[in-house]
Amino acid sequence: MAKCRQVSKYTLALKKLPLLFERFVVKRDKIIIANRGEIAIRIMRACRQLGLDYVVVYTEEDRHSGHVRAATMEKGKGAAFKIANYKDPNEIFAVADHCGATAVHPGYGFFSEDFRFARRAAARNRPITFIGPRWEVIRDLGSKINTKRVAKALNIPVIPGSDEPIYSELEAESLAEELFQKQREEGVKGPSILVKASAGGGGMGIEEVTHLDVFRQVYRRIQNYAKRQFGDEGVLIEQCMKDYHHLEVQLLCSRHKEVVHFGTRNCTIQSTGRQKRVEVAPGFDPDHVAYPFDAEKVLKQIVAYSIRLAKEVEYDNVGTWEWIVTRDGRPYLLEVNTRIQVENEISACISRISRQKGPVNLIKEQIRTALGEKLRYSQKHVSFEGTSIELRIVAEDVKRGFAPWCGTITRFEFPQEPWLRVYSHVPQDEPYEIPTEYDPNLALAIVWGKDTEEAKARAKEFLLNVNIAGEDSLGRPIVTNLQYLYRKVDDILRFV
Amino acid sequence: MEINLKDLLKKYKSHPYEDHEIRTPHTGVVHINVEDGQEVSGPTGRWKHRPGTLLYVLEREGNPKRITSRYTGFVAKLRKDLDGSFVQAGEPVMLIRHRLNKEEIIDRILREVLYIFPAPQRARYFFTPEVSAAMEKDKKKALNLKEGDEILIMSLMKRDTLLSYEGPAGVLYKVYFNHGDLKEQGAPLLGICSPERLPFVEKMIQRIRTEWDD
Repeated sequence: MAKCRQVSKYTLALKKLPLLFERFVVKRDKIIIANRGEIAIRIMRACRQLGLDYVVVYTEEDRHSGHVRAATMEKGKGAAFKIANYKDPNEIFAVADHCGATAVHPGYGFFSEDFRFARRAAARNRPITFIGPRWEVIRDLGSKINTKRVAKALNIPVIPGSDEPIYSELEAESLAEELFQKQREEGVKGPSILVKASAGGGGMGIEEVTHLDVFRQVYRRIQNYAKRQFGDEGVLIEQCMKDYHHLEVQLLCSRHKEVVHFGTRNCTIQSTGRQKRVEVAPGFDPDHVAYPFDAEKVLKQIVAYSIRLAKEVEYDNVGTWEWIVTRDGRPYLLEVNTRIQVENEISACISRISRQKGPVNLIKEQIRTALGEKLRYSQKHVSFEGTSIELRIVAEDVKRGFAPWCGTITRFEFPQEPWLRVYSHVPQDEPYEIPTEYDPNLALAIVWGKDTEEAKARAKEFLLNVNIAGEDSLGRPIVTNLQYLYRKVDDILRFV
Repeated sequence: MEINLKDLLKKYKSHPYEDHEIRTPHTGVVHINVEDGQEVSGPTGRWKHRPGTLLYVLEREGNPKRITSRYTGFVAKLRKDLDGSFVQAGEPVMLIRHRLNKEEIIDRILREVLYIFPAPQRARYFFTPEVSAAMEKDKKKALNLKEGDEILIMSLMKRDTLLSYEGPAGVLYKVYFNHGDLKEQGAPLLGICSPERLPFVEKMIQRIRTEWDD
């Protein structure tokens, strides 16, 4: 009996060993945060929660940014390295080697969807872990065209348009003509097409064409822009969907073929440059808004399609499947973002994992899974609670086509509430000059409510209590989108 | 606008130097190759194809980058303590005290004579594709500008904005940026000379060439 008990003890210890080993692997890692602003701050927070060491990088323009300040205050001067450019991989790897980093977190933008960077991280003499999916997955899904092809093969609906980048003006014009004709035949009112930079992302380098006569002019403009910004003048052309909602499905997958979803988000409220401004989770709320289709069914459908594609490509980290859903409830896959999103936090905010305290931290989960850990939970352990709204506070002139505002912020105050989380790199105790090299994003506010009504009321309460002051080089006062956000809170989740 | 060329030349003659701070262009390990007070030369040759004196080597990711002097002058305030250590981007390594030559004096004085179209924001600047093509097609042909001409693209916060020329009509005499350069707000972008002023400018340049002794 005693022998039996002893065997059991050993068996138990052996069973625990992989878990202990996994934890050990994670704890000894050091992360280099290859990004800036609020996302760098969120990554720092996730590292802290995991007990991981980290370093940050910054450019001359960002020397006063909150992410540099927070890192040096917590870890000392050696935790922040000035580099020439966030987009120079040699800078990131040189700092990584110098400070002994074992993993790189790209955040969003910059290297987050650059498969060459991820491949280099894995293949160099001193490999470091890329916190994101495998580079092969980034390569395959990073191409909107390839994603479209794979989705089509899996019977997942996609938007009609080009299947590969177009470099010939004649070919582009012919396809544009075909798409206009198709819409006319379908009886679409005000048919139009979108001309997109093939290598672009995040809503940049996209223009709408409503008449074939002006197509060539727009095509050339986008081609020039694409060449200048991305080094590739390939252009995509597709039907411009009108009267739709922009939805997202948040997935988390591990290196062990586990797939879990964290529900849906609605990101329909965007600036004229297709930059998201107000996001809400879940993607539809039939208890709050009457839809002309079965909203629950559509949400389940897009989640199922997203998981189908993720399993097909053996996706292995966090990712966002972007969808558009038309007024008649038809979903079309737009693209897959193989990275953490600005707006992932609202999905995290309404998600609960049984036996875990409080909301989920998706960046923490992303780091864990990238470092090889198992999820330790499955879909049945994930539940959803309430509604969350994200408000992107930006220094921009909504009345002038969301033109960015440049200047110095002299005061930035916002309320502290248990239902509110604000991420910002703008210091609150000293003037801050907005760097003109980057977007003029000032803060992300994440509001939670037990239902959509409460979340909306709280979002408005928050916006009324934000206090921001500043002036540009000519002494003119700061311009922000606070009033625009306030107005738009009423429009969330509705087809207007 | 009238200028007193005599006074300007006197000012430059009394202090014909410019200090250029040499900073690391990126991260890496520094290996210094000069001494404090050493005389260094800038690029030479017909097309400035022969690099100047090797100032230091910056090694990053196993790739050595030879940083050579862009100016002729003397090394000052050398940071010898950095030798052999890993540095961040933008770290000052030394100063080069450079004596201005004839052409540089002409350039400085021209800024006071021409109408300067400044950078409205701290941003990256490009000529519009049409203007680039026109300049490329006939490099010798002067480009005439008038108010409202769409001439530049200002790339700011990832957005491109077309810039129209504002100022007196004239000939594009001098360009103060390279394609895609980041320019501070107020930095000169273009120097424009009115057609009736062109003879005066040419005469002034001739006079500086005669009076300034390199």
